[in-house]
Amino acid sequence: MTAVTCELCPRGCVIPEGAAGDCRIRVNLGGRLRATTYGRPSAVHIDPMEKKPLYHFLPGAPVFSIATAGCNLHCLNCQNWQLSQRGGEEMEEIYRLDPPELVRAAREEGCRSIAYTYSDPIVFYEYVYDTAELAHAQRLANCFITAAYINREPLRKLCGVIDAVNADLKAFDDGFYRRVNGATLKPVLDALVTMREEGVWLEVTNLLIPTLNDDPAMIRRLARWVHDELGPGTPLHFSRFQPLYRMRNLPPTPVETLDLARREAKDVGMEHVYVGNVLGHEGNSTYCPRDGTLLIGRVGFMITHYALTPDGRCPSCNERIPGVWRSAELFGEQP
Amino acid sequence: MYGPRHLYSRHIHERELRFLALVLLTGCVIALQLGEGLRLAGLQGAGWRAIDLPALERRIDVGNLSEHEAVWYHEATRQETHATGAEQRP
Ligand code: SF4
Repeated sequence: MTAVTCELCPRGCVIPEGAAGDCRIRVNLGGRLRATTYGRPSAVHIDPMEKKPLYHFLPGAPVFSIATAGCNLHCLNCQNWQLSQRGGEEMEEIYRLDPPELVRAAREEGCRSIAYTYSDPIVFYEYVYDTAELAHAQRLANCFITAAYINREPLRKLCGVIDAVNADLKAFDDGFYRRVNGATLKPVLDALVTMREEGVWLEVTNLLIPTLNDDPAMIRRLARWVHDELGPGTPLHFSRFQPLYRMRNLPPTPVETLDLARREAKDVGMEHVYVGNVLGHEGNSTYCPRDGTLLIGRVGFMITHYALTPDGRCPSCNERIPGVWRSAELFGEQP
Repeated sequence: MYGPRHLYSRHIHERELRFLALVLLTGCVIALQLGEGLRLAGLQGAGWRAIDLPALERRIDVGNLSEHEAVWYHEATRQETHATGAEQRP
């Protein structure tokens, strides 16, 4: 009986033969660890980039989005629990899309980027890596939407093929992570710093849950940490909670709380602070941090106004807005 | 003296015994359920889960799931195996 130890995420599961890791989809079969959902996604959609949310990365682009079953976190408020809190053998819907077919499908659908999203793509790492390599070879960008609960070395390697990340920073409180997500804070912070060091385009999302992580002092600490460690130009999204899964006892986040969070983050010097899941809020849009010009107007996931210059500058004061605005910035001009 | 009062108390005694037996039986059923739950919880030591292995194998056989070998793992050391209870078969 050969047990194996998974080195991918901080859980470090030691898995006996015939069992799975905590994420349910990495299984020890015959003394070897198998990625059982490799090439077998259970969710395949085309989304706007704004839905990820990535607001400073190829705005308005359709993105071919996939996920398999499984997750290494167990959030009580999970939005995708039918997907994330199940193993592959429990899924009704499974598609056969090995990396070459996935890249081909994305291209045929007119998408210039692929997002690994919905559940946490960390747990289907091998599938992401192989697909992302192929995608790059065909000038397709790779977006990784994650809670960033991953070990340093696998992450470093992954950053070589990933272009943009939206990372969920769930709270600036280890106790919250333990109670609500079944994880810990420090590895997440370390992972965000690694992503920044590796030069991946990074945006951060913080879902505000009434009474659990909406304390203004905690929000300020979180924003200050993002400012100091990741930089003031890092887009920071405060997102509205909706009662779901095992957390139906709390109300949706009041808009005033999101407004307050936005003010706190701006007070510590964050330049691009957004409000998500509130249709038509002014915090959906991008403004020049120097002169306040409306640069990208959004209503929900729709772009209603676009004033950035082709090289990503404010048309009135020429301020360079951090982001990746054209795919030529990733791959050079099309030959 | 052997009158109606005596009969009444014997009747009570039988009813109590039957009730006691029912309580004991219920207790046994609960204990068995709890025991099974604890056994499974004990098997699922730190960081691993028992899964429906035949279902997984069936889906691999028909190509709905994959046997692709993962990266980022090593054979568990004796110490790791022992510390997490992973030497027990799921
Ligand atoms: S990726 Fe899965 S199997 Fe590996 S350590 Fe994390 S939870 Fe465990």
